[in-house]
Amino acid sequence: MNEGNSKREILTPRERFGLLVIDEKPDRCNIIPLITSHAAHIARIPLSKYYTDGKAMAQAQIIALEEYRHDAINLFSEVGIIAEAMGSIFEYPENDLPLLKTPFLTQSSLSDIKLPNPQNAKRLPVYLEAIDYAYNAIGDKIPILAYVPAPFTTGMMLSDPNQFLIQTIKQPKLITEIMEISLQAAIEFCYHIINAGGLPVLVDPLASSSVVSPKTYEKFALPYEQRLIDFLHRYDLDIILHICGDTEPILDLFPMTGADLISVDRVDLSLVLEKLSDKIRIVGNFNTSKIAFSSPAEIRQQVGEMLKIGKESPKGYIAATGCEIPITTPVENVKAFIESAKENAWYWD
Amino acid sequence: MFKDLEPQKITLSEWSEQFRQIEDAIISKYTYYDNNKWGAYLQPPASFMVYGARELRRLKFDNSFAALRLWGFVFNESERLFRAHQSKKKIIATMGDLGIVPIIVLAFPNCIPFYPECIWWTPFFNESTVLLDKASELGAPEAACFARAVLAAYFKKAYFPKPDRIFASTGATCDDFSSIMQSVEHLGYDIIWLEVPQRRDSVKHTQSEPSVKTTDGYEYPKRYEEYLVKEYERVWAEMAKLTGVDEKKFLRQSIKKANRLRRVVTSIKTMSAEADIAPFPALELMTIEFGNLYGYADIDEWLDILEAVKETITKRVKNNKGVLSKDAVPIAWISPSPDPYLLNYVEDMGLRVVETEYVINQALVEIDEGLDHFRALARSFMQASLIGSTAQRISSINKAMRTGKIEGILITNMLGGSHCAMETKLMERLLQDKPVLAIDVPAPFGITEQVKTRLQAFAEVLHERRK
Repeated sequence: MNEGNSKREILTPRERFGLLVIDEKPDRCNIIPLITSHAAHIARIPLSKYYTDGKAMAQAQIIALEEYRHDAINLFSEVGIIAEAMGSIFEYPENDLPLLKTPFLTQSSLSDIKLPNPQNAKRLPVYLEAIDYAYNAIGDKIPILAYVPAPFTTGMMLSDPNQFLIQTIKQPKLITEIMEISLQAAIEFCYHIINAGGLPVLVDPLASSSVVSPKTYEKFALPYEQRLIDFLHRYDLDIILHICGDTEPILDLFPMTGADLISVDRVDLSLVLEKLSDKIRIVGNFNTSKIAFSSPAEIRQQVGEMLKIGKESPKGYIAATGCEIPITTPVENVKAFIESAKENAWYWD
Repeated sequence: MFKDLEPQKITLSEWSEQFRQIEDAIISKYTYYDNNKWGAYLQPPASFMVYGARELRRLKFDNSFAALRLWGFVFNESERLFRAHQSKKKIIATMGDLGIVPIIVLAFPNCIPFYPECIWWTPFFNESTVLLDKASELGAPEAACFARAVLAAYFKKAYFPKPDRIFASTGATCDDFSSIMQSVEHLGYDIIWLEVPQRRDSVKHTQSEPSVKTTDGYEYPKRYEEYLVKEYERVWAEMAKLTGVDEKKFLRQSIKKANRLRRVVTSIKTMSAEADIAPFPALELMTIEFGNLYGYADIDEWLDILEAVKETITKRVKNNKGVLSKDAVPIAWISPSPDPYLLNYVEDMGLRVVETEYVINQALVEIDEGLDHFRALARSFMQASLIGSTAQRISSINKAMRTGKIEGILITNMLGGSHCAMETKLMERLLQDKPVLAIDVPAPFGITEQVKTRLQAFAEVLHERRK
């Protein structure tokens, strides 16, 4: 931890995030690299414990926060949680993330899907427990972000992914029906997250242009992102939409989602700012391969360059990685990211 | 349209469940500064919990739609001040006098007065020592009143924008507050100090001087009033310099609006106190009473909310419905509690707050519209309990006790070197033949079983006395 910079810090992460969402410049940019399952590595607990035990997940996140001093708790393991709660079957390898074994719709029909109760359906309560624990422990100083798969991603995890993509062309009505129930499940999960004190962050990685065409995104993913965000806006919450992979072809569509912050991955940050920064706050987008495999010196230098671009975003900017930090990324590399971000992130004198 | 259910106090989760019934069109209908882009404020307590108001999980709230508006509006105040600043309104910190300077500020176009020291509630709503710790770090004594949180707020610039002007009272005001403001000045803020006089009783101390008698029966030397008039003229001149506007007729309108606010609140308080069953909870009523200071940074919308609250209470009183049991014992509450939970807890113990002395009575009385404006404001302020003797401060409590309106008195005492801490013992002495409980309000997280047991025992004694 760079003590020199920490001494300059005037605001807590909670206060800093609070200013960002009301269009005020905080003391410095929020720095929220996607430290998710990497926290289990820092806390030295098996991954399977991290994603099946809410208290362990929260404690691992708090340990990672103490190690890195970034600006938020990131509660997340993988994008299958809602699909699993709706009936898809996952395997839990001890030291890997859950693996989709049997998508629900490969064994049963859509009419058999039940809307899950987040308080007792599979691992959804794990997240609620993690939020509750983290919120009680440090919620006055740190925002608690809880990542929620958006309907399109959940829909694909309910189906055989290849079949799902073919059905977007051949059976669009079926896809729409899957989307509708996935949306309801996401709404229900978000509702419980809010009541536990977490801020839902929407993730829709399978809607990225690395996976589907812009047309498919516009027809099947965007309307449901939009409706989910509309629901969250009833609570006046500012919503981050994260889509990793390549999103350059759909950048122009992002304002239509209604998201307040857009988190991008494999796309030129200058281009994102040029197209979106007068309409929406920007989050991103350090390359996760680089954070895993570059030297700390290279990371420092490149993060500095990223900050130079990002912090000019007029509506606000969060310095982040483009996607999740790979689980076994060296601690020195993540520290290099955060230290460099802190050196370059200042708005106030 | 959302239809109010049977009146009761409900939890945050229960409010969330009720909130699901509210249509989107209703949510977007209620805005501050009439701004549809960012001014919507109709959110349930859970929204504010997400942004860090942790105590909301433990509190209970009135279940009416009017109460939802009230809480959404009050909890949105910090954002509202930043939005006001972004929209080029002038943000004016009016501190320490509690109720008068904002009326002068509101006479100027696009000027928003607010009381930064009201941030003393924030550490409790957030269950957080962030502000108090920072204040100590910046030199505020740890034993000072929780209003010291304001020093940290000025330093952090995250709770309200940098004010365009700061008026702060000194003299017969809270000592801790004055010293904290000296520290704020050391942070580099320019403060326009305003001196408020102590109210010495003419009959006892200054018989030879011309005096003024208020409708409340206070009699004090006229020169105090003359002095205050000059101080208020100085405030006016500063505001005129800031805005380039100098139209006294707007002060008349501003006084009228303040009186309208005061009348609505008096009516709400009276109805609530006189009803057979308490129609509205004490926490909401305290929040309403403090709204008289400045209207929570949008006085027009606040007035509209209060009219809705009044309508709700009127309906409940008419139907003989309320939020507490009929046998709740009426008490008076002296000095406001910075910890909202205590107001909930006292009601849970079977007590009902019907009389209050929250040191803001100058903001509750009507201002004489027939007098010269500044004199009327000065006369209104001279009725402040903050600036008089302890005996005067508790006179209304004594009266309420004599007439049987209340059966006990609760004093919430704060650390510090001023009224709250030093006056409690005096009040206890003056009220010694009556059932009085004085408790120290602990710092956030500090309400121990011991504190609860004392309140519980006090409630039991009051119930027992009825037998």
